[in-house]
Amino acid sequence: MELKDIDHLFRHHSGKMVSVLTRIFGLEHLEVIEDAVQDTFLKASLSWRKQRPEHPEAWLTKAAKNRVLDIFRTLKSQKKRSTSFATGTDAIAINELFLDAEIEDAQLRMIFTACHPKLDPRDRISFALRTVSGFSIKEIASALLTKEDTIKKRLLRARKAIKKEAIKFYIPQGKDLSERIESVMEVLYLIFNEGFHSNTKKQLIREDLCGEAMRLCQLLLTRKDTRLPEVYALFALMCFHSARLSAKTNVNNEVLDLKQQDRALWHFPLVQLGNTMMHKAVETNDFSCYHYEAAIAAEHLRAKTFEDTDWNKILQWYEALYNIQPMPSHVLTMAVISIQNKDYEKAEAYFKNLQPETLEQRAYLYYAAKADYYKAIDNLEGALEHLEEALSHVTNSLEKEYLQKKFASWQRS
Amino acid sequence: MKNFMMIFTGADYAALGLSPDELQSRMGKWFAWGQKMEQAGILRGGEALTPQMRRITGEHRTVTDLTSAEVKEIVGGYYTVEAKDFDAVQEIAQDFPDYDLGGTVEIREVMVFDR
Repeated sequence: MELKDIDHLFRHHSGKMVSVLTRIFGLEHLEVIEDAVQDTFLKASLSWRKQRPEHPEAWLTKAAKNRVLDIFRTLKSQKKRSTSFATGTDAIAINELFLDAEIEDAQLRMIFTACHPKLDPRDRISFALRTVSGFSIKEIASALLTKEDTIKKRLLRARKAIKKEAIKFYIPQGKDLSERIESVMEVLYLIFNEGFHSNTKKQLIREDLCGEAMRLCQLLLTRKDTRLPEVYALFALMCFHSARLSAKTNVNNEVLDLKQQDRALWHFPLVQLGNTMMHKAVETNDFSCYHYEAAIAAEHLRAKTFEDTDWNKILQWYEALYNIQPMPSHVLTMAVISIQNKDYEKAEAYFKNLQPETLEQRAYLYYAAKADYYKAIDNLEGALEHLEEALSHVTNSLEKEYLQKKFASWQRS
Repeated sequence: MKNFMMIFTGADYAALGLSPDELQSRMGKWFAWGQKMEQAGILRGGEALTPQMRRITGEHRTVTDLTSAEVKEIVGGYYTVEAKDFDAVQEIAQDFPDYDLGGTVEIREVMVFDR
């Protein structure tokens, strides 16, 4: 078997092993578990240099089982545990925990732990990437464009919170579940967006994050009680966005917007998968924000060219989205769409409804959009005035450059 | 033809804290290199070494247990290959995967004793 064909075998298996071992030993021993798992991959990487096992996955699972005894010894020597594992009936029970369905179960428990509402929202992503996805601190830092020290602090804080709040390693049931799964979906959505909208120049990192979010979302879909319409909708949304991932940058790694993207590069199998997921997602009367976002993404994919985009349809979806998720950024988007649609009255109405300061660091987008609006209604003075205002608010250097270019070209017109 | 040993030092994976993903990709490179030498029919042997070390030294046979962190330039493994001369082995060593991690290859000729 060619190992390079199994993308991220080690990474994914690391998440599985950490989850199963945590189920056996408990969250309080996470550090010992992580060290043991790391050691397993170190050994595998050395011994597989010469000869690969015929069944790499089985080899790794067996290694994980062997770790159970090692960890038990470590903990015993630390005198933290007195009960005996891996003897008699316990050993049989432990063996069962390494069956595929149980591994999935353990991973889901880990996901619910990582996305626990008692954890600081910023810590959830780092902790999930570390424990469920097998990223190193360095990999998380470069994926999230943050310093390694910051990630270390976040992981430490997450561990402390788990201890302090005595968070249990389980999948919530009943009413609890619907609340907790919200938080899980939010984290997966954020991980995906970190990848999809990343400013990093590395395409690989973008693909990794998006791929991870999709893999974890799929895990939710494997279980009956977590297989909810909104999870299908989230997965559909990820499919639709991912379909455009490789078209999002040009050969110079510059980010291309929808208008500039080569639509022939869109990956249609993912669009199809997204459509299938969407069919399952709409088997409900209760649409979530993911439903509407997926519908918007699908609408973009449906247009053969940028000019063919059905902006009215998209505007409808945004209105519906805004109804359940009244965020100022949605209003801004609707204003931009109305300009695109040449419906300047509507655009003006949206602008009137919007206070730029509510957009916080994205306030410059408000001024830039309003500049476009004035330009469209042939008020060059107003356009330049707002563009200047946008320039005084923008912090991102790429965006700044873009706005400056625009300013210069309008001045000449 | 002569036998040469390529001795690998530095680049201790454990100390570098490589992620599972990085370990997998490193392993792939090592495997490819090994296969290449194997197919060329020049590979005579080789092992990877764990970082644990027990050192015995001096007249009193003093024993110390060391970890890789305490040893500079710890030997991580070796390959023995058959080649014409140092230049030929230098060429083979171009594919050593861990230069970017601070790894070093030392090439030594295996001594042949007259019968």
